[in-house]
Amino acid sequence: MAEVAAATAPSEPDARAQAVVDAPVLPAAPESAPVAPVKRPGRRPGTKPSVAPTRAPAPAPAPDLEPTTGEQPVVLSISGLVKQFGDTVAVDGVNLEVHRGSFYGIVGPNGAGKTTTLSMVTGLLRPDAGTITVQGVDVWREPEQAKRAIGVLPDRLRLFDRLTGSQLLYYSGVLRGLDPTTVKARTADLARAFGLDDALGRLVSDYSAGMTKKIALAAALIHSPRVLILDEPFESVDPVSAANVIEILQRYVANGGTVVLSSHGMDFIQRVCDHVAIIVQGKVLAAGSVDEVRGTGTLEERFVELAGGRKSAEGMEWLHSFSD
Amino acid sequence: MVAQLLRLKLQLTLNAFRRSPWRLVGLVLAVAIGVWLVVLAGTGLVALRLVDPEVTRNLLVLVGSVVVLGFIVLPLVFGVDDQLDPRAFSLFGLPNRSLSGALLAASLISVPSLVLSVLTVAAVVTWSRSPLPAILAVFSAVLGVLLCALLARIATSISASLLSSRRAKEVMGVLGLVLIIAVSPAIIALTTVDWQTDGFAVLGRTADILSWTPFGAVWSFPGDAAIGGIVPAIVKLLLTAATIALLWLAWQAFVARLLVAPERVGSGRDTAGLGWFDVLPGRPSGAIAARSITYWLRDPRYLVSLVIIPIAPFIFFVPMLVAGVPMNVLALVPLPVMCLFLGWLLHNDLAYDSTAVWLHVASGVRGRADRFGRLFPMLLIGIPLIAVGSTLSILFYGDWDALPSMIGVSTCLLLSGAGIASFVSARFPYPTSLPGDSPFQQPQVPGSSGLSAQFLSLLGTAVLTVPAAWLAVLGLVGEPNWNFGALAVGVGTGVLVLIIGILAGGRVFDKRSPEIVGFATSH
Repeated sequence: MAEVAAATAPSEPDARAQAVVDAPVLPAAPESAPVAPVKRPGRRPGTKPSVAPTRAPAPAPAPDLEPTTGEQPVVLSISGLVKQFGDTVAVDGVNLEVHRGSFYGIVGPNGAGKTTTLSMVTGLLRPDAGTITVQGVDVWREPEQAKRAIGVLPDRLRLFDRLTGSQLLYYSGVLRGLDPTTVKARTADLARAFGLDDALGRLVSDYSAGMTKKIALAAALIHSPRVLILDEPFESVDPVSAANVIEILQRYVANGGTVVLSSHGMDFIQRVCDHVAIIVQGKVLAAGSVDEVRGTGTLEERFVELAGGRKSAEGMEWLHSFSD
Repeated sequence: MVAQLLRLKLQLTLNAFRRSPWRLVGLVLAVAIGVWLVVLAGTGLVALRLVDPEVTRNLLVLVGSVVVLGFIVLPLVFGVDDQLDPRAFSLFGLPNRSLSGALLAASLISVPSLVLSVLTVAAVVTWSRSPLPAILAVFSAVLGVLLCALLARIATSISASLLSSRRAKEVMGVLGLVLIIAVSPAIIALTTVDWQTDGFAVLGRTADILSWTPFGAVWSFPGDAAIGGIVPAIVKLLLTAATIALLWLAWQAFVARLLVAPERVGSGRDTAGLGWFDVLPGRPSGAIAARSITYWLRDPRYLVSLVIIPIAPFIFFVPMLVAGVPMNVLALVPLPVMCLFLGWLLHNDLAYDSTAVWLHVASGVRGRADRFGRLFPMLLIGIPLIAVGSTLSILFYGDWDALPSMIGVSTCLLLSGAGIASFVSARFPYPTSLPGDSPFQQPQVPGSSGLSAQFLSLLGTAVLTVPAAWLAVLGLVGEPNWNFGALAVGVGTGVLVLIIGILAGGRVFDKRSPEIVGFATSH
């Protein structure tokens, strides 16, 4: 527990920044304080369900957090976002509001426009229409100021993988304007928290897919951003590492950070996130707290119902007569 | 299954045409040039029918051996993308022998194999002067194509499997370069032979030796028969058949092995410390500079361009020597040429990052810092190069009055080249080989932007250096005081262009950063 705490409040020189983060959250502290102890027992066994995802209806964290987020200010606001590629409309008028301290999941079938939306939020893709503000700063009008508040983990983009792990973390930190001493201290913390100690001296190009994901996630955290935008953060990450990382993220959220992530794993979203948006064909079909969205069933059932992608399995009888 | 794989390979080849229109234009152009070359070579082969059989045989053996060698070496060194990797079929549970055969047959549908087939048919015409050589030539054609296809197949798979680790690829890339450089002394050695008197004898001896190796045997037996050596012809035919049989067994064994061997993952070595990041200041520009130097030293794509720099001047030497330029004047050539290419090197630096450039964009790095950081390795190499190089050049030239001119012109070429590159690489990036690919694997996009960015940045540098160079010429041939003018104008122009280039390039980077990421993701 202690080492994880060190990772979220990484180093001394950052004490000022940490205080700034903490200050506005203080009024909410009485509410969020009981949250942590209540959640912990729910999360500990939570490391196993990611191996055996059958234990679906156990949404422990959501009810606790709901009242707090209601009072929190909006930290990320997307309105009327549109992006077209040729004739295809990838994102078709997306509106979303994410409050401070929420763990926001974006789900959708393949090609629904999740990555496109997140790319526009992080300043990597210019929208055709619509505005995105982070902490009230327009990402596309004042990119420099807005980008400072965002930590990014893109999906399917390369890293500078001919650097060693520690070089990559240092590079990410310094590009974000941190001073070298802070970066080095945080690198050590992050490496411990993510289980990358032994790998820091090796080239990132020699990492496995899961390790690459972890180092990229560490690089996204290094400048302690207000908002974390994570595109498929747990793809090919092993369950133990995923559980560690989720714990780090939950503490980050409890301290006033905000996480927005996209994922295919419904069970994962239902277990970890407190809010969720379902995007299908570039449109938001449902958004709100996980309980609101899922109603009486599981999130997965609701998602399949909304996405309307279930094809009848008839006419596949040949599959039942085996070929050998 | 053979038919299916043939169709697959054909589809893969034709799909290359379904890319962008520019790529299509490039392909059509390449096909046109290829067809023209084939027609030319084919006509030559047909014409050889009327030439003395011994000379014809020697010529075919020599050229044929080089072709066979090419089918082995090119896939190994340049790491051809294996479209029909046996491992891709491992999950279908196909019988090994028929899979090997089908893959081999499919590999015949490739441009080199098709060209070779056409030319071997032309070689049958060459030997159609009497029946026996003609029949043997048909054997030679079939066996030759088969031999080359087998060798290329095996070499491609070796390169895609055994040599797939990063380190091996780097080593092979640099080896390839060394090979190319090593060919030049061989050419020089060839020029020392007195071709007029004993040229044919040298050729004949070489061909005789080669014809007893698997490289030359397959091309030699029709000719041997034509000049009366029936027994050697039969022996060489058998030698070729045996070679092919052995290669076929090796290919089958290799396929069998590949089907069960997983892809190799390199473990890599540990390096402690942050390297260049510890040396340079901990600011964005410093970190980008450190990253650039690290890449220049670790990435074969940069290494290859660096190795070419010291070789480039010698390309200019040959015509100048032929034109009778005195040696001491030649000593003035290398340094400016090296500076020109060193400054120009960076004109597509951004594209080398590929999609990794998102980190700079998402971090909100100022374009200026990005531009300056990327130039740093070039300045680190270039400034000492000018200091040492100008002294050495003038030492050989013999007139110390020319030193300021030398420094002025070289600095102007280096810095204005770098300034132009700063702007061009941000504004007009064009596709290049991806990180981790072979540095020789240039994507086939002869589109407007690539060629013009290359050419215009080189031309721009040259034009900007005209004033300094003009003053330097005045200093060399007349009043020595002009040399100081060349120094002032050269360094002044260089510094000015560099600053403007960094500022303008930085502005472009700031304004167009999403488009830069878009460019990287779409290539």
